[in-house]
Amino acid sequence: MVPRPTFDRTLLQRLAELSRLHVPPERQAEVLQNMQRVTAAFDALRDLPLAPIDAGDNAAALVLRADEAEPPLPLAEVLANAPQVAAGMFVVPRVVEG
Amino acid sequence: MSHPWQLPARELAGLVRNRQLSARELVRACLDRIDRLDPGLHAFLDHRGARALADADAVDAACARGDDPGPLAGVPIGWKDNLVLRGETTSAGSRMLESFRSPYSATCLQRLAAAGGVLLGRTNMDEFGMGSSTENSAYGPTRNPWNSDLVPGGSSGGSAAAVAADLCPLAVGSDTGGSVRQPAALCGVVGLKPTYGRVSRHGLIAYASSLDCVGVLGHSVDDLGLWLQVCAGGDAADPTSTSAPVPDFTPAARESLKGLRIGVPWELNGPGLDDEVAAATEAARSTLRDLGAELVECTLPHTAYAVPTYYLIAMAEAASNLARYDGVRYGARRTGAKRCDEMTTASRSKGFGDEVQLRILLGTFALSIGYQDEYYGQAARARDLLRADFRHAFAKCDLLLSPTSPVPAFPLGSRIDDPLAMYLCDALTVPASLAGLPALSQPCGFTAAGLPIGLQWMAPPLREDLLLQVAGVFERHTDHHRRRALP
Repeated sequence: MVPRPTFDRTLLQRLAELSRLHVPPERQAEVLQNMQRVTAAFDALRDLPLAPIDAGDNAAALVLRADEAEPPLPLAEVLANAPQVAAGMFVVPRVVEG
Repeated sequence: MSHPWQLPARELAGLVRNRQLSARELVRACLDRIDRLDPGLHAFLDHRGARALADADAVDAACARGDDPGPLAGVPIGWKDNLVLRGETTSAGSRMLESFRSPYSATCLQRLAAAGGVLLGRTNMDEFGMGSSTENSAYGPTRNPWNSDLVPGGSSGGSAAAVAADLCPLAVGSDTGGSVRQPAALCGVVGLKPTYGRVSRHGLIAYASSLDCVGVLGHSVDDLGLWLQVCAGGDAADPTSTSAPVPDFTPAARESLKGLRIGVPWELNGPGLDDEVAAATEAARSTLRDLGAELVECTLPHTAYAVPTYYLIAMAEAASNLARYDGVRYGARRTGAKRCDEMTTASRSKGFGDEVQLRILLGTFALSIGYQDEYYGQAARARDLLRADFRHAFAKCDLLLSPTSPVPAFPLGSRIDDPLAMYLCDALTVPASLAGLPALSQPCGFTAAGLPIGLQWMAPPLREDLLLQVAGVFERHTDHHRRRALP
């Protein structure tokens, strides 16, 4: 079993990076405390047997629709929601350095 | 005639179809009531005003021509702010989507409008459905119509308060872990979460996709059946919707419960219940026995794992679903960043509230290398065990019964700083969500302070017909649902 994680500022920084979030220093202690408490409540799950269980008749098969093109969404209405557009395209800040 | 806002949806639709009441008059009455009462409740984020009246006029014109506008003719319907309607703002209770206008409509809203329903306005909610009190709305909390110092429950708290205050006879909600049933209980109305897949989720802003269900709140079991009749059925736009046949949800009234076996899982009917909630559900069980039902004790042995299982799965799915809010195609953008990834991080940190950010961080943790099998993998196993528990229980019982919420409505601000205390509000509703089962909450009593208490029914998959039939019998033999919060 993997040891129980210690929620410290390093782990929080890593999770925030993966989540594309910035947790300001003044909020970090509170966030860490909440994460610690919630994951401690999750720990009961680690005692469960590891064998897979038959999900029975609730495991309904996913039925996908036919792979056929349908009329697209109205482009003007879609683009109207974008923070910045130009020439019918989404505009973002620079992605590649150089 | 009573005030129109006091009547059930089915009766209102009949009056409109027979031209004894105009749809305009009905919608106007609801809009006036919203203008008068909602400033003190904040159940609605906005209403469609003139556009709703124009839709009502179209219903009246159809009636005048002799056409049938449909089973919901002229009925004003509120909808939770996480269901999109073309051309209207939909924010999911978040600053992130404050100015988002949808280019398409949710299937269930399309079906309601096609059945003659008049879409009245958007109701308040916890941001992206994450909360049990509606205090996590970026636009301020909703207050409980029975006592404005208390929460209405959540996350469909706006829809529950709107119905409880008679601002509209029906309001659509969504239920991921109890978000229709728990506010229904705390506001003294009836709330239905159908079987997962019974109602299309196309156009429902995703929170936790393996759990999200569209549901409804109203004043009577019959009105919920009317809503389900209109909204149920497969939808090519939602591959998780079921094409199972849709039965008639308004069968001839059943008078007795003779021959019905109702299971009472002890894990959901004892530990941790408020005394008045326990007493009201015991009184309900006694009424059901008097009506001829056989009540049998049963067990759902893995219930203790339900809350952590639910939150782990929901947070993991939320972390994935909410990754789409990157400040590029829609949603808030923080300007001034020099690089795209900086812009995304800044936009998300500004657009999401504290609880949403906490759940994304925890969901990311649950899916991260080294911990995924220990946490998310174990939660998936626990979910299978819970499903098996229900299957075994339904081999011996027709329906299962419990309180809906362990506590009645609680004061605003009393749990908001303690995520665990808030999560435990869902302890009785998350098991049915994890198993994808249909479940319903209906009023079964009041506390000494006059706060409503809810009774929860759970049925085997796709047995909403039985759920509605039996809850309907209980409703006809009790009068809890008749009491109103506001004159």
